Amino acid sequence: MRRLLAPVLGLLLLGGCASMEPAPHCDMSRISGQRDLVPGPAMVPGESSPLKEMPMNSVNITDPAIMNKLYVRSIAARRTATGTVEVVAQVVNCTDFQQTAEARTQFYDSTGVASEPVSAWQRLHLSPRTSSAYRELSMGDKTVDGYMIEMRETK
Amino acid sequence: MRRPYALSVAIAAALALAACQRVDNTAGAPTVYIDPGTSGPVKGVGIESQDVIAMTDQMLRDMLSQPRLANAAMPPNVIIDSEYFHNESSSRLNKNSITDRLRVGLNRAAAGRMQFVGRHYADMVAKERDLKRQGTVDKATLPAAGAQKGGDYRLGGRITSLDSRDPKTGMMQRYNQIIFEMVDLETSEIVWSGIYEFAKAAQDDIIYR
Repeated sequence: MRRLLAPVLGLLLLGGCASMEPAPHCDMSRISGQRDLVPGPAMVPGESSPLKEMPMNSVNITDPAIMNKLYVRSIAARRTATGTVEVVAQVVNCTDFQQTAEARTQFYDSTGVASEPVSAWQRLHLSPRTSSAYRELSMGDKTVDGYMIEMRETK
Repeated sequence: MRRPYALSVAIAAALALAACQRVDNTAGAPTVYIDPGTSGPVKGVGIESQDVIAMTDQMLRDMLSQPRLANAAMPPNVIIDSEYFHNESSSRLNKNSITDRLRVGLNRAAAGRMQFVGRHYADMVAKERDLKRQGTVDKATLPAAGAQKGGDYRLGGRITSLDSRDPKTGMMQRYNQIIFEMVDLETSEIVWSGIYEFAKAAQDDIIYR
């Protein structure tokens, strides 16, 4: 009985010393599972497209180097006082290291056609385990109906 | 005996074909052209093409979201040039590359929400107006204007920098700050401001020409 007591006591002590991991905790397998690709625009109406891409009004992490490091927590869009569209994406750095990413936005009209030139790449400096906001404004007002954000690692 | 052989050949051919139809995920042919919106093979601590593109893109999008500039009952007359845009930084650059890109981008995107005055062409316009009024040339097709357009707002701004160098390693660091301000040409009120800042660090500064 005594022989068994010592290891159990040791294990209990070890459990008490276990360090607590700071938030956020990113479950990458679940994040990957939630990723939903949709058919892209077909060349001929009524035919299925061979392209599968991210749905409209979403963030597409195009760089495998940061796919399992960053998590897009939320995306929101609103009209400004002049009618242009402001998109805001909240990006979480799941790692214990500084990450630098860059993002750009393409705005689309109601027919799915790009309504203006794609925005310039905007850098995001993400401190370890913090979240940062990526913001972009459209140039057009009433013509803008949707958007697609692309994100990659800054080289 | 023949059937399994034919089947295996068909399967092998189908597999080979499927392999051929994968995405050819390899680098493209090398070229001297590079994307001006992304940092190229020559990188330094100064202001580079990707910075000019990023800062002007950000500023023009922000200006178009300001009701006073982009949603006025009467589209304002705006002057955007480098006359009052000063470079006080240690970066050697042609400040026209910033103001020209801003004016062109804004003019194309504004679609009538603002009107742009080419004050840097005032001399050219004055000469032609004189020739028309002297009768040296005909009146052309557009109706005569009483005077050249005056400006409601004009762009001002400043580029500043802060340099530091580690003498042991030769590592150089530069903080660049670029401010843009739109000034009311009657009251001198600053009706819009924008700031773009970044810091870069590199082993040795490159030569900008």
